[in-house]
Amino acid sequence: MRSRLTTVLGLATLLWGGGAAASEIKIGVTMGATGPGASLGVNYKNAFQLMPTTIAGIPVKYIILEDGSDPTAAAKNVRQLVTEDHVDALMGAVSVPSTTQMALIADETRTPAIALAPVALPPDKLGWVFVVPQPVPLMMGAVVDDMKKKSVKTIGYIGFSDSWGDLVLQATKKNADPAGIKIIDEERYARADTAVTGQIVKILVANPDAVVVGGSGAGAALPQIALREKGYNGPIYHNHGTVNREFIKVGGPAAEGAIAPTGPLMVAEELPDSNPIKKVAVDFDRRYEAMFGAGSRNAFAGYSYDGFLLLEAAIPKALQKAAPGTPEFRQALRDALESGQSVVGVHGVYTQTKTDHFGLDGRAVVLVSVDHGAWRLLK
Amino acid sequence: MKPRLPLLLAIAGLAAAPLLLPQYYVTLMDYVGLAGLVTLGVVLLTGVAGLTSFGQAAFVGLGAYATALVTTAFGGSPWLGLAAGLTLTAVAALFLGFITLRLSDHYLPLGTIAWGISIYFVFGNLEFLGRHTGLTGIPSLSAFDWTFDTAGRLYPVIWLVLALALLSTSNLLDSRIGRAIRALRGHTRMAAGFGVDTGRLKIVVFVYSAMLASLSGWLYAHFLRYVSPAPFGVNAGIDYLFMAVIGGSQHVWGAVVGAAVMTFLQEWLKDILPHLLGRNGNYEIIVFGLLVIMLLHRTSDGLLPFLGRMIESDKRSGRPASARLLPQRPKLTPGEPLLSIDNVTKRFGALVAVNNLSFDVRAGEIVALIGPNGAGKSTLFDLTTGMLSASAGKIRFRGANIERATAHGIAKLGIGRTFQHPNLISEMSALENAAVGAYLRGKCGWIAAGLRLDRAEEAGLLDEAAARLKRVGLGAHLHDAAGSLPLGSQRILEIARALCADPLLLLLDEPAAGLRHLEKLALAELLRDLRDEGVSILLVEHDMKFLMDLADRVVVMEFGRRIAEGAPCEIQSNPAVLDAYLGGVE
Amino acid sequence: MNLDIALWLSQDAITNGAVYALLAIALILVYTVTRIIFVPQGEFISFAALSLATLQAGETPGAVYLLIAGGVLVVALDTSGEPWDLARQRLPGRLARFVAPPLAAGALARLSVARPDALWLQILATLAIVTLMGPIVYRLAFQPIADASVLILLIVAVAVHYVLTGMGLLFFGGEGLRSKPFSLLSFKLGALNVTAQSLLIVIASLALIGALWFLFERTLYGKALHATAINRVGARLMGVSPNLSGQLSFTLAAFIAAVSGVLIAPITTVYYDTGFLISLKGFVGATIGGMASYPLAAAGSLLVGFLEAGSSFWWSAFKDPIVFTLIVPVLLWRSLSAPHSEKDDAQ
Repeated sequence: MRSRLTTVLGLATLLWGGGAAASEIKIGVTMGATGPGASLGVNYKNAFQLMPTTIAGIPVKYIILEDGSDPTAAAKNVRQLVTEDHVDALMGAVSVPSTTQMALIADETRTPAIALAPVALPPDKLGWVFVVPQPVPLMMGAVVDDMKKKSVKTIGYIGFSDSWGDLVLQATKKNADPAGIKIIDEERYARADTAVTGQIVKILVANPDAVVVGGSGAGAALPQIALREKGYNGPIYHNHGTVNREFIKVGGPAAEGAIAPTGPLMVAEELPDSNPIKKVAVDFDRRYEAMFGAGSRNAFAGYSYDGFLLLEAAIPKALQKAAPGTPEFRQALRDALESGQSVVGVHGVYTQTKTDHFGLDGRAVVLVSVDHGAWRLLK
Repeated sequence: MKPRLPLLLAIAGLAAAPLLLPQYYVTLMDYVGLAGLVTLGVVLLTGVAGLTSFGQAAFVGLGAYATALVTTAFGGSPWLGLAAGLTLTAVAALFLGFITLRLSDHYLPLGTIAWGISIYFVFGNLEFLGRHTGLTGIPSLSAFDWTFDTAGRLYPVIWLVLALALLSTSNLLDSRIGRAIRALRGHTRMAAGFGVDTGRLKIVVFVYSAMLASLSGWLYAHFLRYVSPAPFGVNAGIDYLFMAVIGGSQHVWGAVVGAAVMTFLQEWLKDILPHLLGRNGNYEIIVFGLLVIMLLHRTSDGLLPFLGRMIESDKRSGRPASARLLPQRPKLTPGEPLLSIDNVTKRFGALVAVNNLSFDVRAGEIVALIGPNGAGKSTLFDLTTGMLSASAGKIRFRGANIERATAHGIAKLGIGRTFQHPNLISEMSALENAAVGAYLRGKCGWIAAGLRLDRAEEAGLLDEAAARLKRVGLGAHLHDAAGSLPLGSQRILEIARALCADPLLLLLDEPAAGLRHLEKLALAELLRDLRDEGVSILLVEHDMKFLMDLADRVVVMEFGRRIAEGAPCEIQSNPAVLDAYLGGVE
Repeated sequence: MNLDIALWLSQDAITNGAVYALLAIALILVYTVTRIIFVPQGEFISFAALSLATLQAGETPGAVYLLIAGGVLVVALDTSGEPWDLARQRLPGRLARFVAPPLAAGALARLSVARPDALWLQILATLAIVTLMGPIVYRLAFQPIADASVLILLIVAVAVHYVLTGMGLLFFGGEGLRSKPFSLLSFKLGALNVTAQSLLIVIASLALIGALWFLFERTLYGKALHATAINRVGARLMGVSPNLSGQLSFTLAAFIAAVSGVLIAPITTVYYDTGFLISLKGFVGATIGGMASYPLAAAGSLLVGFLEAGSSFWWSAFKDPIVFTLIVPVLLWRSLSAPHSEKDDAQ
């Protein structure tokens, strides 16, 4: 029945031979390296090449399946991973709907899951799901703080017409309202659109003090370029989905000055030595760029890696209670994940408890801006 | 009954699947079932009726979102969600069908692509539908004390629904309406000529297939318990079309085969392609695309024929004997005015095909229409049967004006016709082709056909068809495919089909062409017998010898005008006629 | 809304409308000659834009290898089944027609990689790569079933769209690319900042529409091409080869796509899957033109451009539904004015 070829990362499995399930920890991943989320998905996936192949001396097998950012495919993948591969933990995905689908099945099948993108579920449905990315409101909070410093009073918003565009807008609103900052214009565009002139002209007419772009990656460059071309001089804020080098590559000179929140890993070297994240992040950046080229570091690979770090910290505890491949192990793994232990990742310090499956604080956010063709800490 | 065995085995295998297969494969089979339901609609629409829709996924989405909204926002029951979804789908499909199906074939695909894209953005931008993030918290289906909350528990539900849909669709195709649906693919004129309201039928077929998609969406929503716009875009709509093409779009089982092949192949490719190409991606689409291209280069039957003929023959097995003869129209008194062509003109742009033409046909007459090629004879037939509209003039049938009536409306009045180029559904048997002619003599509708409540009527229609075929001398070929008959026999089959309509007036377009001498004699005798039974005949024919002992009157046309009229012997010596035929003697 | 805004929106509408018009006329061109509703026209545009950007990044686009492989496959298919002597005799001619040009395009691409400053060389290489794909795609996917129904041809066209999209992902990756602008020139027209690039698009579009109109309405060859669409057997009897005219129409369509791709590459970010949406908007334009009239289709495309610019200004979240809903009134009008389908069913 198992004619399937699985993606096996790590020779350890081979060395151990086809040993009993208990001698190996299986982590199932659903990932969208193609489709609408492709530009992010590739980065998410790259990070798996950096991950150790053993945890606490036990070999780890990562089974990565492609979902093309389609939640139906993601659901299929996750069911396959749970019922066919009997994975001990799940990780995924790139798009919000795919991740939500994974979270639903994780909850139903009682499999611990690390969400690598935001989940559209209320916290009480996250019993088995642990979220890595900074909650969008936390990120946009940092953006709004910067707006307050620059005495911005009004914002224009232009975002993707997809779930990401929805999330960034909600998070911006949530932070801007208490700060007395008004969103005076809301515009949408599609990643594949060839022009955003209409939307930009509308924003120019509204003439807000600042613009927030709810796009991601290279797709966020379209409004950035159009705004600068049409002579908009106010600050342009992005979100953590935009912080990669493709944005700068496509945006060219127009990208200069774009501000975005992100995790500390993007500017690890510029952090003070006292910051515990610096060591982990610098190490990750060095290894990642050694493999994928200078300047290739990005937030998404960092999420995958932090997901791994969370599991790495929890697995030894779970191993004391049960053997991998059993429901008891999965239960123990979940308990360990929400034990309140602090894990230092490349994006922040995670302290996840029974009541908080996010567990990040302000240390997880830095503001960066494009400065001479690179993302640098905003001074 | 032998071919039934593999079918029964397949059914038994499907029933036992959840007990035998690993859990994941049961999940996949659920997906196959869901896709199969949508694809069944595509088979009916595209393979059988010859219409193409890329928007089926959008109907799945309507069904899924409707129940999601009803059960989450309003706390209603899934059954209410089902009703809402089906209603919404029917309304949307009716509207889309109305604006696209009256146009030529390529507007439906274009219209449905636009619809598929629009609905995706509409789902994704409406606040109460959860925008692009979608709706969560949809309950599982439950009935009595059962809750269908896992893939294994939902499996019987999905496959039972699919089995019922397969059965009723297959019943439907094996009925009066089924024959009319099959005629839609390339034979709409013929179907209309026997009383099928083809415009309406196309819309009904489209709505039916949309409802199947909506039903699948309802199951989908309660299976995944989460809906978001992504699975309902145009690409998903294309996938369903591909499933039908790959499986075999001519047969209901092609839907299941196509859905299964594509679902499992996709899983398999997802594992194997990254190793071949060295990276991940949905490269399956390359393979599916190539597969579809290569299949269509060879056949339009898909993979089904390769799986053996398990289902080839379930038709015409054990047909019940007819209970009664079909009622016939009351016969007319000979000499009563029947058809009157009154100053009729038909222009195509600058060309005048029929020019101010007038003549009459009375009950109990055989009137022949002769004239050189291009004289406007076939155009006149089309005008009389409502397939063309006259530019000027009046056409009356038994006193009623019919020059503005629809073709199917005129068929109801009792005019039956044959076509100059045989217009038969070549893969259907002679018997079924003839039975198309009896369309108006049955009454059972979609529901009766789907539930097989139409058997007595169906037997009557087929008996009528068989009797007519025997009468015209095709009794030995009842079950031969119409396309396999020689051209002469096809013309005779056309006459049998027209007779099945129990016409008062029979329009025959060159019935004797391609017949051998003895066959012509037999045909002439048949036509005389029909006249004696009270059927009037208007025929176009070139063979004057054939007409000589047959026709009561001959009307001669040239350049759309009547140049002579009279008994055959008078016509033969008419100088104007000789001039027209021989090009004048200088 | 004041005059400046209207001007800005109009400029955008005209630029985009011109791109859609190029698409629409290519679609009509292909449809009238071959009866194929050529969905993958958009992929040719993405291929052109992405090839140009890839060349500028100093790499040889993978599309070149696809092109060469396609050419070899064509020759192999044409040759198979022929007696050896005949095949050997015809081989040089076939190689010259289907393999040599792709190889030349490949050489051109290599050359332009070596000379990163020569924009004209990059453009030439891009035009060559994409234009040559046209006849090869026709020969491989459509020629064997050229007599099939419009419906079957459409399904094959969609399958080709799938294949090319997948290939695009394979060659160019999932990330969007943008090429360098041809010219940074721009001038003030009132409040309007007109860029040379957008002017170029409009001029190219007008020139191509004019050339096509001339070809089909004023030359014998164009009329012969058109005749194939109406009656393949008749055209063959009159000495017009349907295979040749099919390949020719695809070559023209691919060339138009290549030009559009090169023109839009510097003004927008193009992804491997951008083409589909652009080509659908071209379809809306072509549908307005009844899949037959070039001027009507061009006008329709311009209307799409204006509608898109307007809706992106007023109600951007629903921009695409609004644009695609445009075909509803068009279809409704055609449906109500068209003769009833029972009377209009070509045999």
